[in-house]
Amino acid sequence: MADQRWIAAVAAAVTIGGGAFFTVRALPPDPTPVAGFSAPFVFGRFSVPQDNPLTEEAFALGRRLFYDPVLSGSNDRSCATCHIQRLAFTDGLPKAAGLDAEDLDFSSMSLVNLLWGQERFFWDGRALGLEQQALLPIQNPREMAQDLEGLVSELNGSRQYRRMFRQAYGDVSSENIARALATFMRMLISADSKYDRFLRGEAKLSEQEELGRKLFMAHPDTKASLRGGNCIDCHSQFLTSGFRDGLDGFSNNGLDRDADLPAGLMAVTGNPAHKGFFKVPTLRNIAVTAPYMHDGRLRTLEDVMDHYNDGVVVSDTLSPLILEADNAASPPGSFVGLRLTDNEKAAIIAFLRTLTDETFLSDDRFSNPFEGEK
Amino acid sequence: MPAVKPQFTNILLVVLLALTAWHAFWKPDPPNNQLRLVFTAEANGKDLVFDQFLYENPSGPGQFRVQNFRFYISNIQLSGEDGTYFEPDSYHLVRFGSQSNKSSIELNNVLLKSYSSLSFSVGIDEPANSSIEPRGDLDPNSQMAWNWEVGYKFVVFEGSLKMGESIQPLVYHVGFSENRRDLLFTRPIEEDLIGTSEVSFKVDVMKLFDSASVLNLAQLQSVKFDRQDARVLAENYSRMFSIEEN
Ligand code: HEC
Ligand code: HEC
Repeated sequence: MADQRWIAAVAAAVTIGGGAFFTVRALPPDPTPVAGFSAPFVFGRFSVPQDNPLTEEAFALGRRLFYDPVLSGSNDRSCATCHIQRLAFTDGLPKAAGLDAEDLDFSSMSLVNLLWGQERFFWDGRALGLEQQALLPIQNPREMAQDLEGLVSELNGSRQYRRMFRQAYGDVSSENIARALATFMRMLISADSKYDRFLRGEAKLSEQEELGRKLFMAHPDTKASLRGGNCIDCHSQFLTSGFRDGLDGFSNNGLDRDADLPAGLMAVTGNPAHKGFFKVPTLRNIAVTAPYMHDGRLRTLEDVMDHYNDGVVVSDTLSPLILEADNAASPPGSFVGLRLTDNEKAAIIAFLRTLTDETFLSDDRFSNPFEGEK
Repeated sequence: MPAVKPQFTNILLVVLLALTAWHAFWKPDPPNNQLRLVFTAEANGKDLVFDQFLYENPSGPGQFRVQNFRFYISNIQLSGEDGTYFEPDSYHLVRFGSQSNKSSIELNNVLLKSYSSLSFSVGIDEPANSSIEPRGDLDPNSQMAWNWEVGYKFVVFEGSLKMGESIQPLVYHVGFSENRRDLLFTRPIEEDLIGTSEVSFKVDVMKLFDSASVLNLAQLQSVKFDRQDARVLAENYSRMFSIEEN
């Protein structure tokens, strides 16, 4: 009888202890939610995928991956090769440099305030979320040419990466690589430009900047004697990026005639009404992201204003809002363009310059973590 | 009396405990009926087709195509025998596109058993229109926002008019609090609201140009900030909706 009790007690202890051991082993890591996360009220609602909450550990891991050339097949380029912080995460080139010494088809895109605005990514909207997007450049043979299995085993070979993955998510896996990169990119928030400070009541715009702001925010109406640059028809008032709802964040802004019109969004939706539609880009930090447009064809902001003012090329899918917006009353159809004065064009450019956020461009949290280690 | 086995007492206790807990947490659900408002965009009695020059200028030359058509519906109310239900935060964007000429609004928590009248506004009330707070489908960073000093567009129509070889833009953006229109629909009989029910509305886009006033689109290719023109279109869009009886 006494023996039996003794055996039962030992069995129970072993079961409980063993169970606890396995539970602890299998328990997900307990990462720290990003503390004091806040975003300007005027940016509006945002959502973070439930299976990838913003945590300090994921951010630190994502930042390291973003800057690590190990992500490319020949370990010689990282995301930051084409997305440079000083340039608001663009690369200063008309079209990004491909591995085959030939240019890619598109210009690198600024990475900022990606939690808001259009939820599809790339100029033609082919990526449906940041987690999905993040693995594409890695595997693209012309961008980073890295096979994912190879990358996972390379990362598994590093004690530091194993530790960082364990703290953030668990295993080293391609899903977790994507999640970490997405977290880093979601945290790239620019909200301290002069325009933001103006919106918070902390700064005053100059007379010229204020005129530019008004023109940016108005669709012209000659009948109501209202002058405008109609930028807000596509670039939202606070975010300055494309709209979030449906495919509202894509448009044809009149760069090419029908014969040369690239597929753009049509390549993704198959709808001919979307031919030549491209993602409306954010204008935040626009003064440092030259050259402009999906193929970098416009060198300066002056060129951009000349385009909208009298360089618009008509095609079948050109936005009716661009076709219609004109500051001079004239017989319909006789002219396409804004017909602003030189002063007004300069004012809009002055306003665009208020979107530069020095705090963001030099924020240590977004900089290359390897530099601090050396 | 034979002693009750201890195991039995234990089971009894557990059952009693479970019953008490169930009693404490279980509450009868309030009537939680759903009503779906389905809007179908039509023109000339048929489903609206986007992106093709299929429609005649009502009072002038040329044919037009529709490239964008959407509006805000707000402050939905139902009244019936057991009272009136106001949907909270009732701001809905109704939009159509080449993929679908239907758009629906779900009222998920209607606290009525039946209703005999339904009302909503086309457009937005003054307090919400002059605020940048996101409520319902109101979003100051969306296509429907003019800018925070002006407020929201209530009804948006964009397209083009083809006259011979020439293609002209059509842009009708109508807003301003004065152009909100309140519509009331009464049902011939009290309609049940048990479970999930549906009510259908036809939205006849031609009525935007051809109802209270008949417009020549070649002469009025855009309406934005001119108050007089905006009012003309508001009178027309208040006639665009009809409830489908079945
Ligand atoms: C060879 C240069 C290059 C490299 C390396 C590169 N990118 Fe890009 N990135 C681009 C180009 C070019 C585009 C636009 C491509 C397109 O639209 O097809 C782009 C677009 C993006 C976008 C879309 C932004 C938007 O607003 O839609 C994101 C996000 C992005 N890159 C993240 C990354 C990440 C993360 C990495 C590293 C894993 C990376 N990029 C590596 C050149 C590069
Ligand atoms: C009809 C919609 C529309 C309107 C109106 C519009 N834009 Fe754009 N904008 C776009 C689209 C779409 C692109 C990207 C086009 C492309 O690359 O194919 C773009 C690109 C730009 C770029 C280049 C951004 C970059 O990162 O390369 C700038 C700068 C710009 N717009 C400024 C303006 C200004 C200033 C106005 C008002 C004068 C304006 N836009 C009006 C849709 C619009």
